Amino acid sequence: MEALRMAYEWLLTGSLIILAVLIIISMIRSVLGPRIADRIIAVNMTGTMVIMMVAVLSVYLEENYLVDVCLIYAMISFLGVVVLCKVYTGVYLQRKNRKADLGAVEDNLREQMTESRETFGNGAEGRKISENGKHVREVTG
Amino acid sequence: MTAEWIRFVAAAGLCLLGLAFEVMAVFGVNRFGRALNRMHAAAMGDTLGILFMLLGLMVIRGFSMDSLKLFLVVAFFWTASPVSGHMISRLEAMTDEELGELTVIRKGRKAGKDGAEGAGKEIESRKGSDENEVI
Repeated sequence: MEALRMAYEWLLTGSLIILAVLIIISMIRSVLGPRIADRIIAVNMTGTMVIMMVAVLSVYLEENYLVDVCLIYAMISFLGVVVLCKVYTGVYLQRKNRKADLGAVEDNLREQMTESRETFGNGAEGRKISENGKHVREVTG
Repeated sequence: MTAEWIRFVAAAGLCLLGLAFEVMAVFGVNRFGRALNRMHAAAMGDTLGILFMLLGLMVIRGFSMDSLKLFLVVAFFWTASPVSGHMISRLEAMTDEELGELTVIRKGRKAGKDGAEGAGKEIESRKGSDENEVI
């Protein structure tokens, strides 16, 4: 019985240590990530691993309320990711509008180009990737 | 006693499988170069990693209210993770100015005839023509 208890302790402690190392690596990635989406992905993954850590702790310490903490943490992590995405989409759109004011002629020309290509080219089958239609490229095969 | 050991082995196997998936997810996120590729690896950790980890903990806990709550965590995560992934990918597709360098493989017109070389050439030619069109 003592051996079994020790085995459980080793298993849970080892899981916690591995998860802690992974969280550190993931947070380093969230600092390094070149784009904002990389950072959000890394933060999302960190949240997942924190949830796993809290679940492991709830078994390790035999505290039942930590599972509730885990559930609430999952909800708040999801909310955080959605809010971050909305905020950075808004920031990007605001920045792009300011650019459009400065170089309005070029942007209008570009929009006309993409519109005509979608209407008369093979735009009916093609799928728009980005919102402004600037980077529509398809590869068949 | 033997049953307890069998339960321990099952729980350890599931926990280690979940940890392995999580290690793979972290490795993939650090290994891939672009955000949309990184999401592929991160989603694996979000779904399979947390599923196997919490399944292992559920095996340890047995039938109880805690196991139900752990299952609820997994169920919530499996509904919330695709939504957040969709939001992140939409953010990336909207803000990345160089997203066109990705190759979007599409079913259709010239399927199967020309292989990878033709596709590569087509990417290059389309890049060139597009740059000319914009100016």
